[in-house]
Amino acid sequence: MDQLDTLVSTARERIADTADLTALDALDSELLGKRSLISELQRGMASLPADQKPAMGRALQAARGAVVELIASRRADLERLAADALLAGDRLDVTLEAYAIPSGVFHLIQQTIDEVCEIFIGLGYVVAEGPEAELGWYNFDALNTPPTHPARAESDTMYLDGGRLDFGDPADEMLLRTQTSPMQARWMERHRPPVHVVVPGKVYRTDTIDASHLPVFHQIEGLAVDDSITFSDLKGTLAHFAREFFGPRTTVRFRPHFFPFTEPSAELDVSCFACDGGEAGCRVCGGAGWLEMLGCGMVDPNVFLAVGYDPAEVTGFAFGMGVERLAMVRHDIHNIRHFIENDIRFLRQFA
Amino acid sequence: MKVSLRWLEDYIDLPTRDPEDIRVALASLGHEVEGVERLEADWTGVVVARVLTVDPHPDADKVRVCTVTTGGDPIRVICGAWNFEADAVVAFAQPGAVLPGGFEIGVRTIRGVESNGMICSERELLLGDDHAGILVLEPDAPVGAAFSDYVELPDVVFDLSITPNRPDAMSMVGIARDLGAYYGVAMRPPVPQPVTTPGAPSTRITIEDAGGCFRFTARELDGVAIGPSPLWMRRRLRVAGMRPISNAVDVTNYVMLELGHPLHAFDADRVAGDALVVRRAHDGETLVTLDGVERSLVTEDLVICDADGPTSLAGTMGGADSEVGNDSRRILLEAASWHPPTIMWMSRRHNLRSEASARFERGVDRELPLLASARAAELLLETGGGTLLDHAIDVVAVPFERPRIELSRYEVTRTLGPGLPPEHVAGLLRSIGLDVEGDDPLIVTIPGFRPDLERPIDLIEEVARLHGYGEFPDSVPTGFGGGWTPEQRRARTLRAAFVGAGLDQAVHLSFIGKADLDAFGYPGEHPARSVVVVKNPLREEESMLRTTLLPSLLASARYNLSHGADSVGLFEVGKVFFARPDATDPRIPDQPDRVGFVLVGGFGDRSLADPPRPVDFHTGSAVWRTVARRLGLHFELEPAGHPGFHPGRTADVVVTGSDQTRHVVGVIGEIHPRTAAAYELPGRVVAGELDLDRLLAPVPLTQLSTPSTFPPVEFDLAFLVEPSVPADALLDATTEAAAGLVERAFVFDEYVGLEAGRRSLAIRYVLRAADRTLTNEEVAPVRGRMVQAAEAMGAELRGKA
Repeated sequence: MDQLDTLVSTARERIADTADLTALDALDSELLGKRSLISELQRGMASLPADQKPAMGRALQAARGAVVELIASRRADLERLAADALLAGDRLDVTLEAYAIPSGVFHLIQQTIDEVCEIFIGLGYVVAEGPEAELGWYNFDALNTPPTHPARAESDTMYLDGGRLDFGDPADEMLLRTQTSPMQARWMERHRPPVHVVVPGKVYRTDTIDASHLPVFHQIEGLAVDDSITFSDLKGTLAHFAREFFGPRTTVRFRPHFFPFTEPSAELDVSCFACDGGEAGCRVCGGAGWLEMLGCGMVDPNVFLAVGYDPAEVTGFAFGMGVERLAMVRHDIHNIRHFIENDIRFLRQFA
Repeated sequence: MKVSLRWLEDYIDLPTRDPEDIRVALASLGHEVEGVERLEADWTGVVVARVLTVDPHPDADKVRVCTVTTGGDPIRVICGAWNFEADAVVAFAQPGAVLPGGFEIGVRTIRGVESNGMICSERELLLGDDHAGILVLEPDAPVGAAFSDYVELPDVVFDLSITPNRPDAMSMVGIARDLGAYYGVAMRPPVPQPVTTPGAPSTRITIEDAGGCFRFTARELDGVAIGPSPLWMRRRLRVAGMRPISNAVDVTNYVMLELGHPLHAFDADRVAGDALVVRRAHDGETLVTLDGVERSLVTEDLVICDADGPTSLAGTMGGADSEVGNDSRRILLEAASWHPPTIMWMSRRHNLRSEASARFERGVDRELPLLASARAAELLLETGGGTLLDHAIDVVAVPFERPRIELSRYEVTRTLGPGLPPEHVAGLLRSIGLDVEGDDPLIVTIPGFRPDLERPIDLIEEVARLHGYGEFPDSVPTGFGGGWTPEQRRARTLRAAFVGAGLDQAVHLSFIGKADLDAFGYPGEHPARSVVVVKNPLREEESMLRTTLLPSLLASARYNLSHGADSVGLFEVGKVFFARPDATDPRIPDQPDRVGFVLVGGFGDRSLADPPRPVDFHTGSAVWRTVARRLGLHFELEPAGHPGFHPGRTADVVVTGSDQTRHVVGVIGEIHPRTAAAYELPGRVVAGELDLDRLLAPVPLTQLSTPSTFPPVEFDLAFLVEPSVPADALLDATTEAAAGLVERAFVFDEYVGLEAGRRSLAIRYVLRAADRTLTNEEVAPVRGRMVQAAEAMGAELRGKA
């Protein structure tokens, strides 16, 4: 019996000392193979007296079991070490760009439009788009802009051939909309109040291209009409928009202004998001602390009359903002031409 | 409108002189301040002095020895100018004074006589160009005072942007009125009290066109000496951006700036005949205006005529014939009320925007003419002498009545909300000079200086403005059920699919030119030739609205190649325009939305393992497949010919709608090499353009087909087919023959050039049944039917023998 204890403890040391699987295999056959001591002792069982056989059998079984277990455990360890050693040598340069899965970008104008629209969607607005080749009626007359208005001059507005009367009623003239506002009138013609709608889209002006002008640019129009919309609603809505778009610390300032289709009218300034208002020489606001952002106002009663709403029954507000301007202010863009050059080195900066 | 603070203070005592405070006040009133200029004196040590004596220099001919006083002892000074004598009041630079340019004045000896300072000319003080003599000030200039103070320096000039609804604010008095309301202080409008002489002007006035001229007034002065205006007036005119001309002209401009009413000064002696007639011009008439331009008149023009014909463009610019000159003595000061649109169209037509027309086209106070001309006469008498006849000409064609507007409390609150207590409304309206009676409604009488106030809403705007926009509380109303429409959501999906496929979104102007249509070779009757033409284009190459998105995309691809890109993939979503009626509004041109895309160079970014694959038709169709999958669209590609596209590498995209109707929604292909060359694009150029309406139409909701849990059977078939047999047809026919067992089939090898133009297509089929394991015994006959179906279209199974 002592002989077996010694065998197991010797085996434990030798198994633990094996350096690799080859050595372990060799030890395995030495300790458990046919010529091993345990096997010899098992073979010698036959010559033992009958009363010693059970005890000797149990002891041999236990010794063999212990050695098998020790070898299995050591085998698992050695296998894991061998695998680890293999993995340790399986290295690559993680900084290499081996494959390229194609992926493009949305145009910054699209991104800006989507972001603005979603802010208003959050307030329960729907999004509508309208025709760009438009009648003078919708672009001007319905918006309380008389034929004498300077904006109707060819120096500001692009006119199209094919109006119903080339030199007749200006309302019949075909033009490229100079603002997204005509969709206000079209929308109200087709929908009864309440109205909560934003209209993104292209607008056109007779402007020669330079760093701050494009003949085609984008606006987002907003219109809310109900039986109790007030000037306070206009202010609150646009202040909310400004905080959502420019950040929660943004404050707004409304200055009286004039637009033919709103009264009272206002221009909205937002506090500069870069310097929080008034850092001398700020790259965004130039130290003014404020950024001119959009025009807005209460819908003029004449606009309601033009679309068949009763101004005694409803009030509303409208606003319009330049998408390029929003993007330029937020992204430190100083040349509006970038927006139409479609240089992928520009586009891909705004992913 | 440039507003000098010093000048403004003639009419109002502001509680502050801080330019920033005033800027905030003006902005709050709706007068945007585009610039604030601080004017400082360019000198020190210059005082107002009186000349006491003027004597010859004992030893020099060209200079004289003078003594001047600044209030104390006489000071001797040598002066080379000869345009003054004793008693003249002058600008005197004392020893130690520093003139513009750092020129320091000291004590000098000139030919043995000591000179203690210098008498200054205008130019030496940078006040004007005159250097013929020294600057002679008005006799009442305060001797001893700092000269800078006399010329109102330092000063602050606000450059205001006046909105078109506020003609009254195009005057110093109008601005003072607004600021008075803002600060709650009274303003002092000028009250002219010219000395008059009994008599009436001899000129007779006739208004023949009451539609253009509501009222014509004139005052006559005689014995006026024409000369320069006093320094203070010239300075104020210059600060306001006007050029001083002569006292008779300057007073008209000065009063226009002060009161807002333009005036015109005629040389009464150069008016032919004794009568002026206001009428529309006759075709063929001409008039040389003050700017020396001969104007051909049309019958819409409104003119003032003397016996020789038109002598002035009404409210816009006077004529050269009756212009006041240096020898004029008898002056007729015209102040008339004109019909604003008439003036506006006339100034536009003649491209003649004057300070006068800018005011008349917006609306000038119709109660003001006689007061304005009295003010001008008063000023002219002060500087030019002469006499003013006490009777004025006043011909009224259309009398002015002050409008009365009823304003209910309800209306104010309904529009403005709870921010403005109704009891404040009357006070706010009175603060800008309106007459207010009654309680609810208020009865508001509108004076002539606010022609813009016509309706209750105009008054509501006034009270909102005067109350201060910042004073109103914020509230946020919301709609219900907002969000993207289904079509908008699908458009977003489409754009995202293109982006996901690796293309960058482009945005272009909406124009093309004839050269683009020619580059694509559209025949005359092609829809792309049905262009809407811009009447007033900026450039010839942008003179039409685009009928296709492709030219701009090709140009942008070119732009990127020129700037170093070797792989470009761009897409754009936007409108094209056709000269045919729109389906929903036939009054306007059809303007459907489209998506277009272009691929040039390689596809995707360059990387270690994948050099970008050169693009060809298949790249374009792969992009489209990705997009179509995202949109859940079933489509086929059918060989097609299109102008500007490669004849053999172009396909129509045919979409099958939910009603099984087939619609060609667009084209995908390689751009014809000649067209590509027109856009300087090398290699294969792939492009596509598709109408959005079918792509964005709702598709049926997908109904689940449960994935089979049974194992598949896979096998390959390779066919030899004629060139005319498209792969799609072969796949469709063989799949159909398998009676629903084909789960997937795809061409995994194509080999062209085996024999006689035929090609080999090797197809992998994956068959699976929903409810059982397919056995070889079951598959064998199916496979046979599939081969038969292929053979029926002329295909030959390879390796059969």
